[in-house]
Amino acid sequence: MKYRLKISEETAELDVSGSAGRQNAEFTIGEKTYSVRYRAIPDHCLHMVVDGKRVSVFVADGGQGKYVFLNGKSFLVRDADRLPLRRARRGGPDQTPGDVTPPMPSVVVRIMVEEGDLVKKGQGLIVVTAMKMETTLVAPSDGRVKKINTSIEAKVAPGDILVEVEEEEQENE
Amino acid sequence: MFKKILIANRGEIAVRIMRTCREMGIETVAVYSEADADAAHVLEADEAVLLGESEPLKSYLNSDRIIDAAEKVNAEAIHPGYGFLAENPDFAAHCETSGITFIGPSSRVIRDLGNKTVARTMMEKAGVPVIPGMLEATKDASSLCEEAERMGYPVLVKAASGGGGKGMRVVSGKEEMEAACLSAMSEAEKAFGDGSLYLEKCLESPRHIEFQILVDQHSNAVHLYERECSIQRRHQKIIEETPSPVMTPSLREAMGKAALSAALSSGYTNAGTVEFLLDLSGRFFFLEVNTRLQVEHPVTEMTTGVDIVRKQLEIAAGNPLTLKQEDIIQTGHAIECRIYAEDPEANFFPSPGTILVHREPSGPGVRNDCGVYEGFEVPMEYDPILSKLIVAAGTRDAARMRMIRALENYVILGISTTIPFLINVIKAPEFAKGDTYTDFIGRHFENWSQNMEGADLARIAYVVDELTTVKRPLAATKDKGWQTPWETLGEWRI
Repeated sequence: MKYRLKISEETAELDVSGSAGRQNAEFTIGEKTYSVRYRAIPDHCLHMVVDGKRVSVFVADGGQGKYVFLNGKSFLVRDADRLPLRRARRGGPDQTPGDVTPPMPSVVVRIMVEEGDLVKKGQGLIVVTAMKMETTLVAPSDGRVKKINTSIEAKVAPGDILVEVEEEEQENE
Repeated sequence: MFKKILIANRGEIAVRIMRTCREMGIETVAVYSEADADAAHVLEADEAVLLGESEPLKSYLNSDRIIDAAEKVNAEAIHPGYGFLAENPDFAAHCETSGITFIGPSSRVIRDLGNKTVARTMMEKAGVPVIPGMLEATKDASSLCEEAERMGYPVLVKAASGGGGKGMRVVSGKEEMEAACLSAMSEAEKAFGDGSLYLEKCLESPRHIEFQILVDQHSNAVHLYERECSIQRRHQKIIEETPSPVMTPSLREAMGKAALSAALSSGYTNAGTVEFLLDLSGRFFFLEVNTRLQVEHPVTEMTTGVDIVRKQLEIAAGNPLTLKQEDIIQTGHAIECRIYAEDPEANFFPSPGTILVHREPSGPGVRNDCGVYEGFEVPMEYDPILSKLIVAAGTRDAARMRMIRALENYVILGISTTIPFLINVIKAPEFAKGDTYTDFIGRHFENWSQNMEGADLARIAYVVDELTTVKRPLAATKDKGWQTPWETLGEWRI
């Protein structure tokens, strides 16, 4: 079985073969093949022996993928084939270049532009706050504000498109 | 001793204070906001009073509602923790006029030490070295330029009513001075309604070193040695340790003496912290007094065996200090790491959300002062600290290795935390050598990102989780309740 798994912006293909019932399998990622024995230790812990090396990892299903903890590091692993369609629209796998989305769950405190405004790349559009810290979301490119999808005091999350900025016509995509 | 106290705070520090109260047989009262109905400090307390809405001004910063709560439950004293109202002289005064003991110094002392120029003048009189600079603020750019010339560059331009880095500029030479003054003035005018500025000599690569002090109401005063807190991001400490890697017995004696004269000359009582900057040549300068319990107090507790919260309660109740300076022996080395719900790859932007998995590290010499639990939703309204991980060991090196081990065992999933970043900092050769200065993070860890080592294993774990989850039919699990390891082990052989 094949998976396409994404960590941050890096997608890698993983091919798994072997019997799930036996609790061992071969995993191929790129040029490398790993031989893995595994068992689940409830809850959330997986004990694996990878090419003879023992390791315990913790896995939790978040809405957008699985969080994997490994020796003090934490990875968000997502199935590239199951990412929401909205995110996979034109332009790129995550969001269209003109869309502005908050990096973290936060609250909108200021909206500094109006629909129809011309904006420059890097210009502040919206200020959000979380846990006593304010962050300004900026225009990803020169263009015109096509739509504002939020209001002051709205609770917003990553993936919510707060402002859509349309690149001006003179440059074709 | 008090029978019942109210803790006007939340999170890990409220929980930590309640633990000592419980050991002393004192009843505890938590206060909370709507967002915190299920927070750890509410679950820990004997009683809990709802203050109001989640906005701090309607809950944890609302002095009237907190005093009302204390009166309603007949609490004799209020412990303010750190942050929120802990250094607010009006709140302390409000307690005083309501006949409730404020666990900390008097409102007058908090007011005096909270004002930068008043505190500087006070320290100069007491013979405590202060950073060379002006004692009075001005709006005249040309006299600021003259003063800077006299002091020698680099200088720090600071707003008299400033805070949070606003109206502050580092100026390294004459040619930038006038422009810097004008822009700082307009920034300060806009932010604080007061554009007056003063100058301080800018120390290059200083260390932040502070002394923990205890002063009772009978003028007995001791210090509990120093803490070094040079590792900071956004002017906020993230790693603290004791002893300082550069401390010598003679420097410690001089700084300890200065800390105690700072306290006694201001009429200080209760636990407090006198902060200093130490420059490259080994000279130290008074920075400020924190008139409260510090976030990083546990490293002192781990190396002296003194419970600082217990001392605060005893002092507030009027008991004399029984500790003498010569009784306080520091052994070994302790390090604290602050675990924040922040994304270190995104400029430390806060990362609220639900904690899906939470496994605390343990073992010899490991302490975790924690204010969250598995399943808890970290609210976005408050400071993003989740817990403080503290380790102690015989030597600095052993403590460092223990901290790495403990951080690697600290599982938090569902939100971003500073844990992977902290591991990298503690492992850095500069940290190991003790080359710790306040510009450490900016100098060595600008634009940090987690390296991808382990990404293959993480992907394998993703698939293994899929395979093992499919094997467990949900309905069957529900019928039987928890599955035992024997049911899920399958054909595993050792």
